[in-house]
Amino acid sequence: MAREFDHLFKLLIIGDSGVGKSCLLLRFADNTFSGSYITTIGVDFKIRTLEINGERVKLQIWDTAGQERFRTITSTYYRGTHGVIVVYDVTNGESFANVKRWLHEIEQNCDVVNKVLVGNKNDCPSRKVVVTEDAQRFANQMNIPLFETSAKENINVEEMFLTITKMVLRSKLEMKERQNVTSKDTVHLKNNIKTKKKCC
Amino acid sequence: MWFGPNLQRSYKYMMFASKMPSLRIDQSDLKCKNGCDYFGNPQWQGYCSKCHREQMQRQRKAEKASSATLPKPEQKKQEKGVKLASHSSFSKFEEKRLRQSETLKKANLLKFSVFKKSNTEDQEHSSEKRPPEFKIPALVNEGMKSEFRARFSQLPAQVDRDARVFVHSFIMDVIKCANVMTVDELSERVQRQYQRFMKHMDTSSHFANVDSDTKELLMDFVEKHAMTYLHELPSVVFSPSGTDDERLDRAMSERIQQLSWVGERHLECKLDRSNAECRQLLYKAISELLGMDSALGPGGKLSRVRRACRHVLRLCSAAPASADDLLPALIFTVLKANPPRLVSNINFVTRFCNAQRLMTGEGGYYFTNLCCAVSFIENLTAESLNMDKKEFDCYMAMPASIGGSSWAAALSLCGAAREAGAQRAAAARLLQHTSDVKQAADLLAANALSFEEQITKKVQDVLAKTPLEIKPRRELPRLGKLQEISTAPLIDLGTDRGEPHPQPAPTPQRPAPAPPVPALPTASKELNVTLDPPEDEPKLNILGFEVIDRQSPSNSPQNLDQTWDLKQTSSLELLTPSPLGFTPFDSRSIDELMTPDDFGNDQLPPGLSNINYDIDLSDFSGDNSIAEDAPKSEPKDPFSPDALKKTQTFDPFAPQTSRGYDTAIDSFDEFSFVDQKHKETDPFEVVHRGQDPFSPVEWNVDLGKDPFSNQSPAKQSTSILDDNDSPTTGCLLPSPLQPQSSGRPN
Repeated sequence: MAREFDHLFKLLIIGDSGVGKSCLLLRFADNTFSGSYITTIGVDFKIRTLEINGERVKLQIWDTAGQERFRTITSTYYRGTHGVIVVYDVTNGESFANVKRWLHEIEQNCDVVNKVLVGNKNDCPSRKVVVTEDAQRFANQMNIPLFETSAKENINVEEMFLTITKMVLRSKLEMKERQNVTSKDTVHLKNNIKTKKKCC
Repeated sequence: MWFGPNLQRSYKYMMFASKMPSLRIDQSDLKCKNGCDYFGNPQWQGYCSKCHREQMQRQRKAEKASSATLPKPEQKKQEKGVKLASHSSFSKFEEKRLRQSETLKKANLLKFSVFKKSNTEDQEHSSEKRPPEFKIPALVNEGMKSEFRARFSQLPAQVDRDARVFVHSFIMDVIKCANVMTVDELSERVQRQYQRFMKHMDTSSHFANVDSDTKELLMDFVEKHAMTYLHELPSVVFSPSGTDDERLDRAMSERIQQLSWVGERHLECKLDRSNAECRQLLYKAISELLGMDSALGPGGKLSRVRRACRHVLRLCSAAPASADDLLPALIFTVLKANPPRLVSNINFVTRFCNAQRLMTGEGGYYFTNLCCAVSFIENLTAESLNMDKKEFDCYMAMPASIGGSSWAAALSLCGAAREAGAQRAAAARLLQHTSDVKQAADLLAANALSFEEQITKKVQDVLAKTPLEIKPRRELPRLGKLQEISTAPLIDLGTDRGEPHPQPAPTPQRPAPAPPVPALPTASKELNVTLDPPEDEPKLNILGFEVIDRQSPSNSPQNLDQTWDLKQTSSLELLTPSPLGFTPFDSRSIDELMTPDDFGNDQLPPGLSNINYDIDLSDFSGDNSIAEDAPKSEPKDPFSPDALKKTQTFDPFAPQTSRGYDTAIDSFDEFSFVDQKHKETDPFEVVHRGQDPFSPVEWNVDLGKDPFSNQSPAKQSTSILDDNDSPTTGCLLPSPLQPQSSGRPN
């Protein structure tokens, strides 16, 4: 088995349209940024291979349409997804408000999935609307790691993707271990999330 | 009484017809024939539903035993199903089916599929009897073998065998289960089969050396062949019986048609209808989407979707093409394309494509997007288009044919443009072809030209070696005559005319042998003429008859020479007179002073010969008889011209003779040459005869006489021709001398 990777994970990027999902993807996969929307390359689907703890992980990152009217129909995107990156725009309060709805969407479509919350466009303090403290508090409530990134300045992007990858990898290995016993842990996780949500 | 017979008849009739006269109807008559407690039904041949089913199963088993056997589990399941289904009529079920809530769907689907089977028992029988379904692999095997050889030639044969065995068992399994299972179960089973094959590849020693990429290719390969075969079976995997696929296809198609008015602005996608490139991309995407239905395997369909989506991506290239742009554009494309059997296709891929690939990879991503687009269209409302509800309703109420005309026009334009492109390509091909032909033609022409040039060159070469020889030869015999006659001052005039031309004339005659291109020969003639003229001109000048000479030359000289030749050849036997010529020649060579006269003679004889030609027949006949006498007649008038010619030719010879001084030998040789040349020229002479008329009167007399003299030498020359070839070249040189010599005498 001479594969060029040990694991293949499918990640999903969701969030309102215009929060910079595609730019994050572009930055991570190609290490480029097109602020002025010049590029003609489709960035909807990207692949990148990382190495974590000596294991090669191939990431397949799917971009999704964030428009409100497509929200109900994107369930098929979630099929077989290992991790979800929920993105909001720190300069746009509405996009942050919508995060809750996105998380709800995830819950409806996936049983167990790793998530990260990403506040993008964190490169212009003067235009920042969503305060870090608010976001952090929300993230803690949801038990989701929070990252404030800037695709433009390439801040935190790599770290964010590494973190989600590690999370996915860890849960996969745990799953493997517990396949012999019971999948109690997974149930537990799920419960955790639900309770958190109720708290919200 | 009146009713009696009728009653009786009807009674009898009833008895025989149904054995169940209403009067005597009994509980037991209504019961199942099998004796169980259930009631029977005439539709089921008097059995109750259960017994009837069992009966049918037995029958079927017997039939299957001969061909192929269906698995037992299926039969059991069917029996179970019949119990369920037997209670509802088909029409009832149909109504139910339409009213079915989604939660109940599964159970009902099961019922439906089974019920349908029980109702269409005969059809099922026939379909099950179909041997190809159960003994597939002949065709599939061949296809797999050939493709395997083409694509995986480096893999061991065992892999090929494994793959084929798997496909075989896979197809068999699916066909067996298709009737028993719901589509979802079948789909799961298929997925398990895929996994089984994957596992097999991972564990089997045959695949030890196969890397993972190739394994995936093999997986696709297996899936493609198995599914391509299954796809063609009606209602097994593609829009299977028991699903709503077909109805949904129609509904979707109608829905899309109804939404034809939806434009790019409704979907907020940035498409530029006026942009030709944009239109082209859209057109390509649409044609790929339409092609999805014609692809057989799920892999093929998936790749079609992938290509279509790539076009769509480029379509919305104004922005960084992200999913935010892709999805609306894709929806728009689907709306414009209205692909046939869209729902069936999507369901088919979803159910029977290798799930791993569907969930990952580019194809999976785009397919997911397509699914989203379809579900968006299904659930499309005024809200999702950001428009007023009333307006939306208004649009929806509008007949489908009205909406979206602008895009339809744009797309039809695209189609037309594409067609035009094809036509243009065809035209370009034709143009290319014609240019090729033209080139070939040019080449051919060039070849012909060069060939001509070569020929003319050769001719020139030959002429350069031989041109003058002709004259001497002719002259020689003439000279002999001239010597004999040595008269005719009048002849001098004739000779003058004849002289310049005879030279050019011979040249044309010689080129003629290789006359492919008349134009070039003319050139060669001119060259020859130019070469010759200097010799002639001096003579002319000397004579002082230049003008006259040039007028007559071309016609007369050639003709004369040729005619000469003809006459000579024809009258070879009559050559006896020639000896007379020889003797004079000899004397002539000795008498150099006579040369000027000879020139005149030379010229004259050609002209004369032409005329002679007309007369030849009579003359020859006469000559033959009077050949010996002819010489005597010649001396009078004819001899004088001949003599003149001979004097010309004679001059060159004279030098020769002067060189050799062995007149006898030289004369013989020269004659032989002359004869050869004459023979060569003979064919041409015929053509030239027409020209003779110019100087007919004058020449006639001379010719008639001259030929005889020539003829005789020709005969002799023929015998000795070969030896003299080389000397001819030598003759050329003397020719220039001739004029001089002739000039001197003059």
